[in-house]
Amino acid sequence: MPEYLIFLLMIAIFALLAMLLKLPIGVSLAFSALAGSLLGGEGIALRHLVEGSFGYFDTILIIVTAMIFMKVLQASGILDTITSLLLRTFYKKKSALLLTAMFLVMFPGMITGSSTTAVLSTGALVAPVLMKMGLSKVKTAALIAMGGILGMIAPPVNILVMIMGAGVDMPYVGLTIPLLIIVIPLAVAISFWLGYKDIKIIEYEKMRAVLPPSYHQQYGFRLYLPLIVVIVLMLGQSILPKIMPDIGIPAIFLVGSLIGLGCGRSFNFFKATQKAIKESTPILCILVGVGMFIQIMTLTGARGWIVISFLSLPSIFLYLGIATSMPLFGAVSAFGSSSILGVPFILALIDKNAILTSSALSAVAGLGDLMPPTALAGIFAAQVVGEANYFKVIRHCLMPALFELVMGVGVLISTPLLDKII
Amino acid sequence: MKNIKNKFISSLLVLFILVICFLSALKFLSMQKKEAVFPSEDLTSKKMLSAYLQSLKNTWGDTEIYIYEGQEKGGNLLITGGAHPNEPAGFITSVLLVENIQVTKGKIIIVPRANNSGFTHSDPQEGNPQRFSFETSTGRRQFRYGSRLTNPVHQWPDPTLYINPAGQKLSGTESRNLNRCYPGRKNGRLTEKVAYGIMELIKKEKIDLAIDLHESAPEYPVINAIVFHENSEELAALALMDLQLEGFEFSLEFSPKNLRGLSHREWGDHAHIMPILLESANASHGRLKGKTSPALIVEGKDKNYAKAAKLGRLFVPYGEEGVPLKLRVARHLAAVKSILSSLEELHPEKRIEIKNMPSSSKVRNTGIGPFLNPPN
Amino acid sequence: MHIAYHLIVFYIVCHLIWYLFREKKFWNQVCAALVLIMFLLRVFLIK
Repeated sequence: MPEYLIFLLMIAIFALLAMLLKLPIGVSLAFSALAGSLLGGEGIALRHLVEGSFGYFDTILIIVTAMIFMKVLQASGILDTITSLLLRTFYKKKSALLLTAMFLVMFPGMITGSSTTAVLSTGALVAPVLMKMGLSKVKTAALIAMGGILGMIAPPVNILVMIMGAGVDMPYVGLTIPLLIIVIPLAVAISFWLGYKDIKIIEYEKMRAVLPPSYHQQYGFRLYLPLIVVIVLMLGQSILPKIMPDIGIPAIFLVGSLIGLGCGRSFNFFKATQKAIKESTPILCILVGVGMFIQIMTLTGARGWIVISFLSLPSIFLYLGIATSMPLFGAVSAFGSSSILGVPFILALIDKNAILTSSALSAVAGLGDLMPPTALAGIFAAQVVGEANYFKVIRHCLMPALFELVMGVGVLISTPLLDKII
Repeated sequence: MKNIKNKFISSLLVLFILVICFLSALKFLSMQKKEAVFPSEDLTSKKMLSAYLQSLKNTWGDTEIYIYEGQEKGGNLLITGGAHPNEPAGFITSVLLVENIQVTKGKIIIVPRANNSGFTHSDPQEGNPQRFSFETSTGRRQFRYGSRLTNPVHQWPDPTLYINPAGQKLSGTESRNLNRCYPGRKNGRLTEKVAYGIMELIKKEKIDLAIDLHESAPEYPVINAIVFHENSEELAALALMDLQLEGFEFSLEFSPKNLRGLSHREWGDHAHIMPILLESANASHGRLKGKTSPALIVEGKDKNYAKAAKLGRLFVPYGEEGVPLKLRVARHLAAVKSILSSLEELHPEKRIEIKNMPSSSKVRNTGIGPFLNPPN
Repeated sequence: MHIAYHLIVFYIVCHLIWYLFREKKFWNQVCAALVLIMFLLRVFLIK
């Protein structure tokens, strides 16, 4: 059976299970991967199925620990206190609020290179503020999701570029300015696009009415300790790598969570973890399913068929291919997209400056984090604001995503010009 | 009642996943079993890398080192294969050398599995087979197809950002890439220790020339190449001419000074030897590869790569007939031979004399099997 | 750090099993089971 047919059948089986039989997405993916392995003549390729899911092991660890941290922030009253602080500061300053919120969301992404980390940490902090100032749930989530993605692309740490760089032997040097050129205009434009019309400047009295309880008086400075520790550890590993131990993002979140135990309202850590597990399991299962699906795609040759099909596009369509395939393939993950497609595309554009090319491609690949079924940024942003249907969030991300796509492809096309300027 | 039913279902599910874990664990753990290597009778001694760095003892980073010493003194050569265990031509070339050569002058040290831990697992989402095999006169011999990186079970966790011993900033997973960890760290992570151990070997054994055997994906620009350090510039240029006369096309690539942590850069900078890295074209670790199988590794036939070559997307000729492993190994063997004759020309006092070196043309024609020793 | 991560994974394994037994919806249990496979294999340092 030709590889594209196996691939199409896998998609069909997935759609059947997920849409008609309403099975969870992760389980549907796992079953369609199993079907793919049978159709590809590999029998029940158990080793491959399990191995594929391990592609997301590190991501899953980050998600679980970040979720635990978020639950700790909620349970200890830290979240409410910070919302209250931000509201008091910004209730009269619309533009400042939007830009600060955007920067706050981006920040953990900038220093860890992971959009999930951004959405689940500071994303959770700014969401209540934006909603209380009049921004709808879904638009707030869209802003957080986009902030996470922009944070992932912004310097100093852009893992997408590092992955592409590793594939073409390009050292991670000299990327700050090209990445800032891409990210800053987008951050400003997207935050205003999503929030400027809806966010209302409110009166002091009105603000007081929506103000959540602040525990600042009760616990004082130590209330902020978990957040400070997490930020210092994250910053340390990227800015002072020789001094600060790099304990990895999952450990950072857990350290922050454990510190949270003694810094605010008392709560049951076990229950907080159970909540985190309960809320994240369907998403973790999607990642497990996608991992299996990709492994079987590679095993049967479907992955190679997709890559070669895009590379076969006539060169005038190459940019179109980049603009469509990289975000689409991001359904695997933005990281997967930058490795599997990003590297061949850089090589296809080898006559151009690789630093600029990879920066622009990372902006395009980053959008993969909005692509269902994984859509990590979209799903977690929806979860942060309490929206059950993440597709609503993604709908509001469409226009900002288009900005980003145009920016990415624009930089790609104008590489020769930019090369002379910077 | 409902509660009991629920507990029953939960227990069944746990049992089910235990069975899945058990069955897949058998497969995963099977990768820990090393393939036997049967050295030629002229092997002088066999050591472990831990002889050069004690702390590697009883770790998955420890690996066999085969030493061949001639009666007469001459140059000292180090050959490493398997720094990236998903690049089989490097591994198999070093195994062929270990199983065949006799050194009459000088010293040759061969490390077939430079990153031993990388042989114990496969890369997720790459869909690679665990093994490939060759027919020999007395049966099949199997070899593992591992991962580019150290097994995460042996070196865990990855940092978010990896600053390698040479100061280069890389993505975290690269901390498990031996060929980004040079010159290594004595008390560092496992892969850094392996790199450090190899540096110690180079220094203690007074190595003059070292060849690191690799492969690259056909879409990668540095391919069918001799990568050289400024210390080995003349040597590489001379070897290239020799190889061209023999009908092998190679490109010469200078080791970039700003790309740190790689063998061809750090071996030269830190141990002041002549380092060379060889690359050949391996479809099975490329991004465009079609259906994966042991045949793809051994025969190298891949319609996607043939198509990509026609589209001008590759840096290497790739026809429908593929680039088989026997050709890739033959290229490595031919390059080693040419490098040694160039060494003799440039530094006669460092001459290394080998007998029974597998002939590249024979390997190319008859395949790898006839050069592998039967299991004893 | 290896030990710390080993403990983190072990902690998550315990929670996943606890969740698997407490959860009432079958498909949610299946989701947890699929995730658990990976964590068990890592806890035993197999993969």
